[in-house]
Amino acid sequence: MAEMRPEEMEVARLIVSALSLETRPEDIAPEAPLFNAGLGLDSIDALELALAISKKYGVQLRSDDERNHRIFASLRSLTAHIEKNRVR
Amino acid sequence: MRDAGQPALDWTAAPERGSTGMLHLMLWIVRRLGWRAGHLLLYPITAYFLASSPRQRRAVRGYLCRALGRRAGMADLFRLYFAFASTILDRVFLAAGEVQDYRIEIEGLDALQALLAEGRGCLLFGAHFGSFEALRAVADAGCPVEVAVLMHEANAARVKAFFDAIGGSRRAAAIIPLGAPEAMLRVRECLEGGGLVGLLADRRTGGEKVARVPFLGSHAPLPAGPHLLAGMLGAPVVLGFGIWRGPRHYLVRFEPFAESVTFGRKDREAVVAALADRYAARLEALCRAYPYNWFNFHDFWEEGR
Repeated sequence: MAEMRPEEMEVARLIVSALSLETRPEDIAPEAPLFNAGLGLDSIDALELALAISKKYGVQLRSDDERNHRIFASLRSLTAHIEKNRVR
Repeated sequence: MRDAGQPALDWTAAPERGSTGMLHLMLWIVRRLGWRAGHLLLYPITAYFLASSPRQRRAVRGYLCRALGRRAGMADLFRLYFAFASTILDRVFLAAGEVQDYRIEIEGLDALQALLAEGRGCLLFGAHFGSFEALRAVADAGCPVEVAVLMHEANAARVKAFFDAIGGSRRAAAIIPLGAPEAMLRVRECLEGGGLVGLLADRRTGGEKVARVPFLGSHAPLPAGPHLLAGMLGAPVVLGFGIWRGPRHYLVRFEPFAESVTFGRKDREAVVAALADRYAARLEALCRAYPYNWFNFHDFWEEGR
């Protein structure tokens, strides 16, 4: 299994706590899909996650962002997006 | 509350498949012959659909027994199927804005408009009850804000194709397909702009969070999603129904449902369950008052599993 970086671990913890998942943060595969297959999140979870990310990192996720498909693809891609755009 | 691991629900395909075929037939007929001919053809069409769908018929009969409080006979089934077919015929006209020959009574529109005037957006919860198109014809007409509708992906594509076909491009653009992760972000953005977002809050999809609430005599699984959404976005909720009363006659009714939903981490499930419960109670009252408007053709209570 791919190694998890500390930044990814932090986002994994945020996902687990924001969505009250029963998965442990360290068990989220960094490159597995977050939605549908993989972790099995739905679009309401996505909203919840977007609210939590904006609160913690000041990163606004918008629906009209063409990169959404990539951003939401995995823990790794989501973390990369947050690191690039975070304001706190 | 998370109810994963359910088998794929077979009804997601069933009624819409039938109604898409019927819709195309209707389009073809009314374009050439007009509403009246379409209306006459509803009798054989209703009989055909009634005869060819034993599984749906059984589900509808179960519902009707609950709503009517007595045994439901073939005449009751026919009335319900006929009402359904009528709303599909009318969809062709209502969606195109051709409402001049229709009698549409409206209740509660003032309350909806007052809420929209506050500028914080509004969620409009409907059901597979009566005609969503009649509801939209009223909610949309002269509406100063953006109107969007959330719907399941497979249906969204078909509905979009339908609106494209009859030339309602503005409506086609306003469909938010469920399923994409960003669907609810779009809902949020529409509400932030003071817009109105409609969705049908009575049908669940496989894997979605559900609330089991009393409905017409026993517990039914209703989707928790719409109420979760309302709470997460803090938006006011209005219920809306386009009730079919007879040929080219509708009653469009709006009812304020929740001023502004809020919940914390701890009381979230309780708040959502209470909302789903109240929604089911309103739906039940409508089912008793207008029993033939219920257009869920599957085992709604999931008794057969």
